[in-house]
Amino acid sequence: MTAVTFGAGGRLGRVGASFRANWSLLWADRLGRAGLLLLAIVFFAALLGPILLPFDPTAVGHSAADLLQPPSATAWLGTDEMGRQVIWETIAGARTSLVVGLVATAISMVVGTFIGLTAGYSRGTMGEGLMRVTDFFLVIPTLPLTIVLAALLGQSLGIIILVIGLTSWPATARIVRSQVLSLRERQFIVRIQSLGATDLRTVGIHILPNVLPLVFANTVLVIAGSILAEATLAFLGLGDPANVSWGTMLHFAFQSGAAGRGAWWYIIPPGLGIVVTVLAFTLVGHSLDRILNPRLRNR
Amino acid sequence: MTRTMGPRIAAIAAAAVFVAAACSSSATPAPGSAAPGSPAASAAASALASALASAPAASGPAASAAGPSQATLRVGWGSEPDTMNPLTTYSTEATEVLQLIYDKLIGYSTDLEPQPELAAAWETAPDGLSTTYHLRPGATWQDGQPVTSEDVAYTFKTIKDDSLGAYAQWLGDYVGADTPDPQTVVLKYAKPQAFDPALAIPILPKHIWSTMDAKAIQTFTNDQPVGSGPFKLAEWKQGETVTLERNDAFWGKPAVPARIIYILYGSEDVAAQALKNGDVDVLTEVPPTVWDGIVGATNVKAVQLPSFSFHHIGFNVSEDPGSKGNPLLKDPVIRQALSAAVDRNQLVQIALAGKGTPGSTLVPAGLGEWHLDVPTDKLLDANPEKAKQLLDAAGYTDRNGDGVRESADGKPLEFRLIAIESTGVDVRAAQLFRDAAAAVGIKLDLATLDENTLGSTVYNTTDPDWDIFVWGWDSAVHDPDYMLGVPLCSQIGGNNDVFYCDETYDALYAQQATTLDPVARKALVDQMQQMFYDAAPYIVMWYQDKLQAYRTDTWTGWQDVPGGIVFNFTRDNYLNVTPGT
Amino acid sequence: MRIPRPGYLARKLAGVAATLFAVITFNFLLFRILPGDPIRLLARAGNLSPEAIDRLRQAFGLDQSLPVQYVLYLRNLATGELGTSLTYRRPVVQILAERMENTLILLAAATVIVVVLGVLFGVIAAARRGTRLDSGTVLTSLIFWSLPTFWVGLIFVFLLGVYFPAFPISGMTTPGATYATPFDAFWDVGRHLVLPTLTLALVDVGQFILITRSSLVDVLTEDYMLTAKAKGLSRRRVIWRHGVPNAMLPIVTATALYVSLIVGGTIQVETVFSYPGMGRLMYDAVLRRDYPVLEASFLLFAIVVIFANFASDLLYRVLDPRVRNA
Repeated sequence: MTAVTFGAGGRLGRVGASFRANWSLLWADRLGRAGLLLLAIVFFAALLGPILLPFDPTAVGHSAADLLQPPSATAWLGTDEMGRQVIWETIAGARTSLVVGLVATAISMVVGTFIGLTAGYSRGTMGEGLMRVTDFFLVIPTLPLTIVLAALLGQSLGIIILVIGLTSWPATARIVRSQVLSLRERQFIVRIQSLGATDLRTVGIHILPNVLPLVFANTVLVIAGSILAEATLAFLGLGDPANVSWGTMLHFAFQSGAAGRGAWWYIIPPGLGIVVTVLAFTLVGHSLDRILNPRLRNR
Repeated sequence: MTRTMGPRIAAIAAAAVFVAAACSSSATPAPGSAAPGSPAASAAASALASALASAPAASGPAASAAGPSQATLRVGWGSEPDTMNPLTTYSTEATEVLQLIYDKLIGYSTDLEPQPELAAAWETAPDGLSTTYHLRPGATWQDGQPVTSEDVAYTFKTIKDDSLGAYAQWLGDYVGADTPDPQTVVLKYAKPQAFDPALAIPILPKHIWSTMDAKAIQTFTNDQPVGSGPFKLAEWKQGETVTLERNDAFWGKPAVPARIIYILYGSEDVAAQALKNGDVDVLTEVPPTVWDGIVGATNVKAVQLPSFSFHHIGFNVSEDPGSKGNPLLKDPVIRQALSAAVDRNQLVQIALAGKGTPGSTLVPAGLGEWHLDVPTDKLLDANPEKAKQLLDAAGYTDRNGDGVRESADGKPLEFRLIAIESTGVDVRAAQLFRDAAAAVGIKLDLATLDENTLGSTVYNTTDPDWDIFVWGWDSAVHDPDYMLGVPLCSQIGGNNDVFYCDETYDALYAQQATTLDPVARKALVDQMQQMFYDAAPYIVMWYQDKLQAYRTDTWTGWQDVPGGIVFNFTRDNYLNVTPGT
Repeated sequence: MRIPRPGYLARKLAGVAATLFAVITFNFLLFRILPGDPIRLLARAGNLSPEAIDRLRQAFGLDQSLPVQYVLYLRNLATGELGTSLTYRRPVVQILAERMENTLILLAAATVIVVVLGVLFGVIAAARRGTRLDSGTVLTSLIFWSLPTFWVGLIFVFLLGVYFPAFPISGMTTPGATYATPFDAFWDVGRHLVLPTLTLALVDVGQFILITRSSLVDVLTEDYMLTAKAKGLSRRRVIWRHGVPNAMLPIVTATALYVSLIVGGTIQVETVFSYPGMGRLMYDAVLRRDYPVLEASFLLFAIVVIFANFASDLLYRVLDPRVRNA
């Protein structure tokens, strides 16, 4: 199939063909580049940290004197309220936060895209109905909903991932749906259908590839949101106590009075971890949005 | 291109507000005063000055020198009362407030000795089966009605008959009361009582409570409590403050503070900040890590006192077929092995930041001679080798090499462990316990719950669905009877949180409860402690120290009492502290 | 400005009613289907007597079929019966009423700051798009947007509690304070509001700046803007008189997202600063698994968002210059 024109001033064919073009655009954009670099740092620390410096993030202190100690030669980022090393917890926390962010987003994207496609493409009550459902879920405030779900369902990592994934799909669904709606009326779709293509084919081969780039840009932003969501839930006490994450670190910091004790080494690293990671994904997502959304291209 | 002035002006205005607020907040509030900078503060300060000027010169103990003041004592706590009904409350905070509103027949002094309260004097009959209490003449309820022996008789009867609240357990042998005259009441028991329930039970006004039946009492919120005590409830702003006002018609010496305000802080950290900033005068309970941050602060005294409490690990040893606890835990060897595997000193150091002593028996060390020092050969503590020996000898070995031992018929030694999410020390202890158990081949799956759910899970008598918990006990009275009475067969459905039931133990308990000779009683109490320790349905982890703190520049005269300056059996500190430095 | 026609208003109100109904039903299903035993959920506190549990069972029909429970639920809702708090053993509706007021104050204060600063900086950035000021503003906004609200609060507690105690870090008023004049009360509450409001606004202002900027840039490149410039209007006039009002529309429609975010932010801020509002009530309810309170506060938050949306829809209608009469 030949590359299809898509909007004024843009050019988009199959995702793979323009990947390199988009990549270089991303790299050229200052903010996008900054985001990518930050991402690289975070992933590097999360994946290679434990390998390069093999310490046990769960090793507790020996006596009360080891608790909440400021950074020193033996504890580069100090210790927490059980004498564990903050630097190891921070690196271990990076893994948990990233895993939750990525998997929850994957769930969200799959569900959101599927619903968006169906809502946009189906005519009549099915489409209307799904649209209403999506709009309904958009109205429900996210944090209260995730809090309630987590409180009702439990606190394992799996449940947290599920809860975050299932509360963030509406935004994606809405974007996908509006995209599909505008595509549905396009000449080439009408032509293909008159040639006898089934709905499934139409959606799968012609509509989906044109929707995916936008979805992708949106995905990156959703990852940022999922990481924030996990951190917030964990801070509020709904995280998985068996897995250390940046949010649970801040939860225990808050509970054990680190803020009042002036234990900045316990509060700043996990918080910075969250900010840097979320910012990285946001910068990349923001840039991708400008690149892949031709309406925004000329800005 | 013109710049908009907007942002500039906004910035200047913000800075001005910031500076103004900073200046006004740096003024130290007058002792017990209102918001800094408000006219009320200066009014309070001048009233204070005149009150102090007119106080009689100190001639006795400093505590009783000052007369009633106009000042407000501000107390900070981390959770609120659940209700003002003494017969339905389960909260320590409610009990603390209620002990200032209501009187008991006998109270505790700052030496934790019995001292007269509503009963000015009392004598026990020679046969030990009854005690005659002489009530104070002129004692009135806060609505003006006189306090009479009818009120005492009514209170005891209602608690006994309707089995209400936590007090019913003291009245198992209660037979009835005689009220020969309005100032005299004789409480009668079927057997002599080693611990006098008069020390525990608040006296309620019959003319208010007798209009309700048992059902009504259960739901009675008692929003306007009428007691005979030194304070009245002025206001309860739910989620914020509880305000008590001095009862000027009190039968005893009027309290020095004119008001006591209990302030609810969302976190102990913020409470500690408030104390350091002078926004509150005393904190009732400070967690260990927060307390370390208060020690040495200016004008703050942090106190560390022995307590009558412990935190423990409990095993579900229910014999009831409906129990969903892991049946392996009914084998004492596993419990003893886990007890040996745990290093209680490490728990004190890491979970409690060193603020306590390693635990052993059911009777807290704070109760002095009553506590048994377990002989070294019977000690199960910090001995993983012994734990492994015990398990090996009993046939629990790792048959499939996964690091977890199995029983002879292949069941893995894997148990569920629950702890209260908001109790930081318990969560930390649970993690350390889990690691210690793993080191001897037992796997524990830790889950944290909120306090209510844990309570209802553990105390589910029909089908308790749990294996092991981490929790704690505070002794309700200054006597070993309370703690000893927890694991009784009869307390299943009551206080018994592990479903332990042993007839020999129960018999010993009944005996010591009616043994008046301290030496003989001590022998029985020791026997019970050792028996319970060996059976190991509890692993008593530590006896924590009571950590509190107060400002030294607002109120003075705090007496250090084992068990705490507040939140203790004695209320005297509330009555006697005086404003000043 | 155009006043929306009655027909439009009626339709919108019907829509709101429908959404409200849907949320109420959703809430009901959430709390009845998900947990294992609804009786344990609503009636347990470990200490409720069997009689008390029976009473609750009857009031809420907990042992009846789901449809019957639903009808009872609706009826209870209509009479303001939201259950009894397991922690306080008081009617939930009483507790909610007290806390809602406090949260609304906080929300209002934060929204004012967010809108004023957001629009201001968004306009500046859009007017100077492409320059360093613009990319600086965008970067700063993105950074603010990436900050976890609760962490910002913790930092404030830390800095202003430990190092430079200028503002109160907890509560809404100084406990036990008496006020001689209304101004004193105002001042006390105001001082307590500073940090929570600042924290709440900080994160959302970034988002608002970005939305303002992007929608204004959209508008500035539209044809009619070029027409205005060609007509010789000054740049300032073009931006403020013609650009911003049109740019407001997408901002107004973004309100749904904003309100949802700020509701989430409120919960975090009230927790960190012990502010006695709905957010902290929800946090405490989670801590204690006080399900009746949790259910009611969730419903209340959802209702707030629905009404905010309704208001913004109306505002949109009123502001939209392309809507003609009749």
